Amino acid sequence: MSATGSSVAGTTAGLDLPTRPGGRWKSWCAVGVVVIITAITLSPQWGIAFSLDAIARNWQNGAEKILQLLVPDWSFFPRTVPALVETLQMAVIATFVAAGVSLPLSLATARLTNPNGASRSIVRALLNVVRSIPDLLYAAILVAMVGVGALPGIIALVLFNVGIIVKMVSESIEANDPGALEAGRAAGGNQLQINRATALPDIMPSFINQTLYVLELNVRASSVLGLVGAGGLGLLIDAVRTFYRYDQLSLIILEILMVVMALDVLSNAVRRRLV
Amino acid sequence: MVVEHSFPTVTASPWSVSMRDVTVRYANGVVALKSVSLDIRPGEMVSVVGLSGSGKSSLIRSINGLVPITSGSLRVGGFQLETARAGELRRLRGEIGMIFQGFNLAKRTSVLNNVLVGRLAHTTTLRTLLGAYRASDRQIAFEALDRVGILSKVWDRASSLSGGQQQRVAIARALCQEPRLVLADEPVASLDPPTAHEVMGDLRRINQDLGITVVTNLHLIDLARSYGTRIIGLRAGEVVFDGPVDSASDSVFSEIYGRSVESADVLGL
Repeated sequence: MSATGSSVAGTTAGLDLPTRPGGRWKSWCAVGVVVIITAITLSPQWGIAFSLDAIARNWQNGAEKILQLLVPDWSFFPRTVPALVETLQMAVIATFVAAGVSLPLSLATARLTNPNGASRSIVRALLNVVRSIPDLLYAAILVAMVGVGALPGIIALVLFNVGIIVKMVSESIEANDPGALEAGRAAGGNQLQINRATALPDIMPSFINQTLYVLELNVRASSVLGLVGAGGLGLLIDAVRTFYRYDQLSLIILEILMVVMALDVLSNAVRRRLV
Repeated sequence: MVVEHSFPTVTASPWSVSMRDVTVRYANGVVALKSVSLDIRPGEMVSVVGLSGSGKSSLIRSINGLVPITSGSLRVGGFQLETARAGELRRLRGEIGMIFQGFNLAKRTSVLNNVLVGRLAHTTTLRTLLGAYRASDRQIAFEALDRVGILSKVWDRASSLSGGQQQRVAIARALCQEPRLVLADEPVASLDPPTAHEVMGDLRRINQDLGITVVTNLHLIDLARSYGTRIIGLRAGEVVFDGPVDSASDSVFSEIYGRSVESADVLGL
């Protein structure tokens, strides 16, 4: 503020500039590490085996498939409708169930809304396990457990969704201003009351946002889950793929695209009303 | 319709505070209060002054148990804080309203829902979870808002209000508790001068009209002198002054602040 250090543009002369901490070597180290790791993964001994010649050798195959994909078999549409509806039903049901389960779990995993360290660690550990298993693996295991159909697909989606929603929402709770919660505590509320009355209103937008995102994910995911027998479009995809009907496959892909785009428009409209 | 000044009649008697050799040491080793002893009588309006870091905030938060005391004895109303269990602490807090520098409202919900937070200690957990507050509790909330003159904002979102209005919602939340003691931690530090006087005036009315004990943390000398009857000066966690407003001269304040009084120490309006 004082006028003593009248700054001349471009010079630090006369200024008591502290030495910059760290220096530049850190960023060079980071670059070096990336280069070394890339070199290892590409090397023949330790890396993954792949070569680009495969594309050159098989490009005619590929071109043929792409040509087939470019001409969708529209007459196949009526047969896809029940599967498409089943996929949508699976996605919607799974989203609702997952949202309901996730809300209390999110509050239980955030420090602000659950000051009890022991219970927080237990819930977090459980959710880490749930999140580390991929949805397709859940579906494969559940098909073996409860049989082929929509049910194993829905359960797989719920498990997959809970991992996502809880992680994102609990992070947004931690990022929130703790002031309102302090006021709830000062007014004599217990933790459940404080969470409901002062934390919930502020995390609602983030919660709805994540739920909408998960609904989108579910439409895409539930069309893949059928590959392992868990209902929906995936079962149909598996069938047409087996018979190399790429024209029918491309119709299914188009349908998924349309649904995802429609959902995007819908969720954007909802989001705009949130903030 | 609610007639002006017909605030829910406070039948409950105001509370006193009694501290004996109270020390607060935080987990990181910082000693915020060093063997503080003081008595606040029922119905008093006390200003606690000191620079930031002097222990004002710890003092006021120890009274409702938001900051636990490390040693000593602290009696508030009928409660002995150093031995109080969790349930007792909640009942104690239910009788003590608190106002914060940053208003501490749930910004994305209505003014009414924020004021109803003041009823938490008198509402079952199930009712809170369902958002089904009793009609009588809502009535108390409406009257509290009317008391601070912003009943017209009852359905508005808290974030849509100005700073001064938000602090009034916070005061209504405290009043909604039908408190026996009100604690205010730098209640006007985030407000512009005219609004600061209005909010301090609200606090004085709470004290004078309703007879509630009010303890306010302040760092501005003129506010401490014009609102309240007694000044407690804190410096480095110790009480260095305790007396009526008239005896708190500029030299007393330079003693409390450990430096001469500056123009930044008064609001000046």
